[in-house]
Amino acid sequence: MPTDAPAHLGRRNPLSTVVLALFALFFTVPVLWLVLAATKTDDQLVHGNPLSFGSWAALRANWTALTGFGDDVIFLWLRNSAVYAGLALVITLCVAVPAGYALALTEFRGRRTLLVVTLVVMIMPNSTLVVPLFLEVNAVGLIGSTWSVVLPYSFFPFGVYLAYIFFSTALPRELLAAARLDGCSELGVFRHVALPLAAPVVALVGFFSFVGNWTNYYLPYVLLPESDQFPVQVGLGTLLANVPQFNPTAGALAVERPQLALAALLAIAPVLVVFLFSQRFLVAGMLAGATKE
Amino acid sequence: MSDTYRRRATPFTSAVTALVLAVVTACGGGDTGSSTDGTLTVWVDATRMAAAKLYQKTHPSVPMKIVSYDGDANGSNYLQTKVSLFNRTREGWPDVVFSSQNNETTWAVDAGFTAPLNKGLLPRSLLDGWAEGANDPCTVDGTLYCLRNDLSQTVLWYDATLLKDWGYQVPATWEDYEALGKRVAAEHPGYLVGSAGDTFTPEIYLWAGRCGANQITGPKAVTVDATGPNCARMAALLDTLIRNRTLATSSVFSSDFGKNLAGRILMMPGPAWFGGALFQGTFKVPAGRIAVAPMPQWADDVTAGDEPAVGNVGGGTWLLSAHTANRDAAADFLTWVTTSDDYQGEEAPGYPAYGPAAKTWLANQASSGYYAGDIAPLRAAADQVWSGWGYGQFSQEAIWAATVTPGLNAGKSIVSLLPAWQEAIVNHARADGYEVKE
Amino acid sequence: MRAGHGFVAPYMVLLVAFGVVPTVYAIYFAFTDAGGAFVGLANFVAAAEDFRFVAAVGHVALYLVFWLVTLVVFVVGLALLLHRVTARPVSRALRLLYYVPGALAGAASVLVWLFMLDPAVSPAAFLLRAFGFDTFGQVVAPEHLPVLFTLMAFWTGAGGWIVVMYGALNNIPADLVEAARIDGAGAWQTARRVQIPLLRKWIVYMVILTFAGGTQLFVEPQLLSQASVGVAGRDYSLNQLSYDFAFQNDNVNTAATISVELLVLGLVVAGLFVARSRFFDAD
Repeated sequence: MPTDAPAHLGRRNPLSTVVLALFALFFTVPVLWLVLAATKTDDQLVHGNPLSFGSWAALRANWTALTGFGDDVIFLWLRNSAVYAGLALVITLCVAVPAGYALALTEFRGRRTLLVVTLVVMIMPNSTLVVPLFLEVNAVGLIGSTWSVVLPYSFFPFGVYLAYIFFSTALPRELLAAARLDGCSELGVFRHVALPLAAPVVALVGFFSFVGNWTNYYLPYVLLPESDQFPVQVGLGTLLANVPQFNPTAGALAVERPQLALAALLAIAPVLVVFLFSQRFLVAGMLAGATKE
Repeated sequence: MSDTYRRRATPFTSAVTALVLAVVTACGGGDTGSSTDGTLTVWVDATRMAAAKLYQKTHPSVPMKIVSYDGDANGSNYLQTKVSLFNRTREGWPDVVFSSQNNETTWAVDAGFTAPLNKGLLPRSLLDGWAEGANDPCTVDGTLYCLRNDLSQTVLWYDATLLKDWGYQVPATWEDYEALGKRVAAEHPGYLVGSAGDTFTPEIYLWAGRCGANQITGPKAVTVDATGPNCARMAALLDTLIRNRTLATSSVFSSDFGKNLAGRILMMPGPAWFGGALFQGTFKVPAGRIAVAPMPQWADDVTAGDEPAVGNVGGGTWLLSAHTANRDAAADFLTWVTTSDDYQGEEAPGYPAYGPAAKTWLANQASSGYYAGDIAPLRAAADQVWSGWGYGQFSQEAIWAATVTPGLNAGKSIVSLLPAWQEAIVNHARADGYEVKE
Repeated sequence: MRAGHGFVAPYMVLLVAFGVVPTVYAIYFAFTDAGGAFVGLANFVAAAEDFRFVAAVGHVALYLVFWLVTLVVFVVGLALLLHRVTARPVSRALRLLYYVPGALAGAASVLVWLFMLDPAVSPAAFLLRAFGFDTFGQVVAPEHLPVLFTLMAFWTGAGGWIVVMYGALNNIPADLVEAARIDGAGAWQTARRVQIPLLRKWIVYMVILTFAGGTQLFVEPQLLSQASVGVAGRDYSLNQLSYDFAFQNDNVNTAATISVELLVLGLVVAGLFVARSRFFDAD
């Protein structure tokens, strides 16, 4: 029985440790900087150590200045983001999960065609369609309403595809056959058999939908006529335009860079929270197709 | 098989689509725009927000909706984008808009957005009060389509204390300026006599030097001569001073300028708003040091008896919507915000384009005690902006930033970049539909 | 079964409304002029002849090459290295750290990088200066942009894929790896002969999905252009050019040609994916 493993297997190579540690720094230092930047004054940002803590007083001052900009417009933007992403999340789940289920586990005419169309549309870049989308939404007179953003957000072929993969691999067909034999209608089968087992894919589709819609920039930038309706990501762009270092014509009521950092932190806070808890079902959902019986 | 599916599906899906859209149209469809209930919708940038709010305070009976936007700065084209969208939806235009750009009429007239101001809406006596040439960018075929907010005539800003301590004279000619730069490089290295790192650098130096890179000759016609003698000699001057490091190659608003160079300014040719926004606001120079002198001129222009020429960096314009339902209220606001002493004279950060308000403004600046010496050169320069540099639809600042600034950052000379600059201006002008003569 | 139709009906509505109709609209605009008359390929020619078009195509192509190569090499490499870490808490912590920047996708990440790339305020200033860059303007010089956008995209996008690849590595039966070890294979050889071939379909999946997103490059160059006051040009990517055609030149027709071209490109890639990924087909 071999007792000696080959020298370089099973023992951690110091080079790999260094590489992993360097990348850990690469990924985390900018986020750390962002958090610290919100606690500094503009002067400290430029002249102080980049990774030093500022002061609580400066943080309070930055908060006051940021909320003072446009009279709390940052909260309005955050509210808009929540409304758009939230509404879209509900609609997406109600649309994509049943559709994925049907594509995977029911028989109907045109199922394969729809599946192929979904795959194709899923790959196509959706921001190339924003300009035609604008014209279409305008043609039905919806420009300026919340639905002009929420409805396009709710169209999520990738979500349908994920649900399809999940249902076709994670749900034993025998279970469904048994339920149908027992006299359950299709809707009943879905409600009583499939849905209770669908928690992972609901979480996964919800995750991708929410994150994707929260961080979407191009679509709301083109479709929304008034800055009051902006989601917070587009609002960040507006704030950027008011920072003198980035736009010399910004005058006395300018936004300072630490306030911009604070705004960015507010903008990502909900997504960050979601991210911290999402790894597990990300892997489970994405790899569902790999664990076939 | 799939055909049958589609045939069955199409009437079904289109019915559902129609139903859904009908429902949401009925309860959605946000009504944005020029309202018939008398609310005045005003778009301003962050700096002009104070003006709109002051008007609201002094006219509490006027219902107002004040919207903040980026002022079309940095070539964002936000206003043109939104007006183009509003034109398609046929609603949503603001009543009065401030733009930090002076070239809005190059598209806004064709888009039907701006209302003519000198055809009875505003009295001729009022319009005559603007500084000479100030409203030229707003005038198309004799009709006035916008009003200048402030002038940004260039002058020579300098640190009077340093100048006196070092025993220098204020340069009256560009030749003197270059010589002074060489002296400073030798005697006080690290100090600056100007900055060439901004996107508006050509508007300070080349415009004042009568460079013919931007001669707008008609609504869609331009003559571009960026390699001619006037441009070349100013470029050579800039190159000399960049090489001996008395001209910065970073923007005056950049972090590295603020960190390393802000405390080392001997002089800085620049627009009128440098005084407040740059020296007082950004660099926080203590009172009593900054003074104003006239912009240098070329020696042979002086001997030939030519009118002095200065440049201009920005200014901003106010536009009144042709679609407004509140014409009187809008005209009233427009008049107040461009001419009133309350705002322009007392509060405005820039030199007002309206003459009487400018007098008030100058008096206030002088009495504030911030500046050393007499700021009368500002007044004189207001009438000396060279008329051979116009405002086209294409942004000269963006072209300079994308073409010359990267070369400067890489160490190339401006003279060597002039042909590329010429080509870029011609290309952009043609892409915007201009007829270009070189 | 009729019920199947009922389940997919809402999705079909959205598919038609927001997938099919805009596409048809885009194609319509690409082949007609402002008055609605059919003009054949005239708009495509006009867009291609614009002096910024070829440069924009080049920019996006170069960016995609940099980005996809970097993504594959580093995601697979880091996943493999992570997989060999035996201490579970360390492995979990590292994966979380790599993953977190994904939450900043979009405008927030550009903001962070604006400061990371400015030698005057960045924590990595010593690195930037070591490359010879003393000012922000020097860092965002046009020839550096593909690298910068790759950095930004990698920072937000790699973490999620590393997590997925790690999961995929876990799914590789342990006895295969054990067999390789018994054969005397070292770490690198095990990776090359056993693990990477079994990861191939995930790598393909990752490349194809990322390719589609990469061609859409808009937010990063747009914000960078604004923040650098124009030094990074505003017509860097095709989507930006399309936007300028539509809203600066008021020419929806040439703007639509770029939409159609990117759509065709997407279709080709999608076709490849559908063809190659028969193993995803659960039937």
